[in-house]
Amino acid sequence: MPTLIYGPGYRQYDLGERHPFSPIRAEVTLDLIRELGIDTVPLVPEPATVDEVCTIHDPEYVAAVEALGQGREVTGFERFGLGTADNPIVPGMGEGARQLAGGTLTAARRIMSGADDRVLQLGGGLHHAKRASAAGFCIYNDVSIAIKEMVDAGMYVAYIDIDAHHCDGVQEMFYSSEQVMTVSFHESPEFLFPGTGWVHDLGRGMGRGHHLNLPLDPFTDGDSYLATFDAVMGPALSWFRPDVLVVQAGADGHASDPLADLMLTSRDYEAIFRRLVDLAARHTKGRLLVTLGGGYALHAVARVWAILGLVLWDQPVPHAVPAEWRRRWGSLLGEAALEAMHDTSVEPVALRDEIDAHNRQTAQRLLDAVAPLWL
Amino acid sequence: MFVEEIMHRDVVTVSPDLSLAEAYRVLQKGGFRHLPVVEENHLVGVVTDRDLRLATSRLADRPFTPEARVGDVMSAPVSTAHPRDPVERAAHTMRDARIGCLPVEEDGALVGIVTVSDLIDAFLAVTGVRRPSSRLELRLRGRSQEFATLTRVFAELDIPIASILTMQESDGRTRVIVRPETIDLREVSRRLCSEGLEIVWPPPLACQP
Repeated sequence: MPTLIYGPGYRQYDLGERHPFSPIRAEVTLDLIRELGIDTVPLVPEPATVDEVCTIHDPEYVAAVEALGQGREVTGFERFGLGTADNPIVPGMGEGARQLAGGTLTAARRIMSGADDRVLQLGGGLHHAKRASAAGFCIYNDVSIAIKEMVDAGMYVAYIDIDAHHCDGVQEMFYSSEQVMTVSFHESPEFLFPGTGWVHDLGRGMGRGHHLNLPLDPFTDGDSYLATFDAVMGPALSWFRPDVLVVQAGADGHASDPLADLMLTSRDYEAIFRRLVDLAARHTKGRLLVTLGGGYALHAVARVWAILGLVLWDQPVPHAVPAEWRRRWGSLLGEAALEAMHDTSVEPVALRDEIDAHNRQTAQRLLDAVAPLWL
Repeated sequence: MFVEEIMHRDVVTVSPDLSLAEAYRVLQKGGFRHLPVVEENHLVGVVTDRDLRLATSRLADRPFTPEARVGDVMSAPVSTAHPRDPVERAAHTMRDARIGCLPVEEDGALVGIVTVSDLIDAFLAVTGVRRPSSRLELRLRGRSQEFATLTRVFAELDIPIASILTMQESDGRTRVIVRPETIDLREVSRRLCSEGLEIVWPPPLACQP
């Protein structure tokens, strides 16, 4: 049985009532997972310590985050990317960020100790946080903290990021490392935040050929996404031979997401999750750590991440959304509180064939670029 | 942006009496293509790897030998820049003269060199993404008031602006590409539309008529 990691402390990572990166997303998901009959008691993690956070982050930045979160003044906080619309200064933000980091770190340790193969961390995935600055809703880079600990223990880590936004923070932290491979599928940086993640960004020094970026066209649909995924993932993992897969399972690639322009459906996500389980079985003896990430259409992320839970627990996806769950959250979800777990079929995208052809070319260009590095 | 901000200060120079073979070795070793030629502390010419290869080519009408003097094949007189020239002035000069470098002189002394590569770096610094940011493309009617509205809306929402690029369109309107440091463009787009500005990209945020 996989382990589910979640704690009430995750609610402390709350950037404000109207902020899109709301802790309610995980809460609603957890409730749906339970209503779907996954009978598991979440493991409540300890928050990461300041020292643990400093394995990845600049101590000066961490001190500023902690002080500002405790209501103390810090001069020049702007240089840390704080005090903006995306990363406002809110009470308890250091502690909240450490709660999420603690969850991902606990997940990593469960796998390192052999206690678990599959772990679902129902939070985290703050892939934009940089060494010395916050960005894109992310304060502490929980995935990088967890990966660093595994790397220091000698493991080879393949990090797969299916969030609609490029994982700039994680890529930057391990850009010169030969022990970490990062693979990011995202909407093209030409159009979407953070503006990085091009095919030719392959890593530096010993890390060259270890960083794969698949910038997808806006309005890419599931078939095209999966074709790109399949073209790259098998060869990448066969070459890299990781000990563990770490997956940032942002759900903002969903067609209804308000912050990105990809066209994935819940069925596409199910297909991606099944592929990840298969890849783990084939390449990492089943070792698979999955975190949440972006995803801002509440009704979509709850179903997508509940489907993630069902796949990890080897359960089929039922047709109906549990009525009890809809009753409980209906007012919050509004008319979007669908009755079916899966989206109804969507209309094909205009220019679908051109988009697909361009994505295939992107995948091919990437494979051509890494071929001489993968000898 | 001025030439002195992008120029290389440690300039490798050669004397006009150096042999072509020696000059070629200097270029190979340094990994660059342009050599200012200096005599008695005065810039007297520039020699490039292309000059050396063409001069010594067997395809040339009268090929030089590797022992010939740099002074015999260098380009002279030389177009130069001043450290406080604007970068775009240097770019114009290089395009007009169809050359790949400009030695930088101040008070008669050689103080640096700029090359096409430095100008490309400057272009990347202006247009490139240096901070995590989104991209919002607008079309303005070319009035300064609309720029004021644009930046005010971002300021009101505490959204830092990483860069603003503008291009004149043929009909007199101005295409503007803003890189805001935010992942969420919804509220700012809504406000820009309600202020009467036209959003060109991303399409889902285009203003409703």
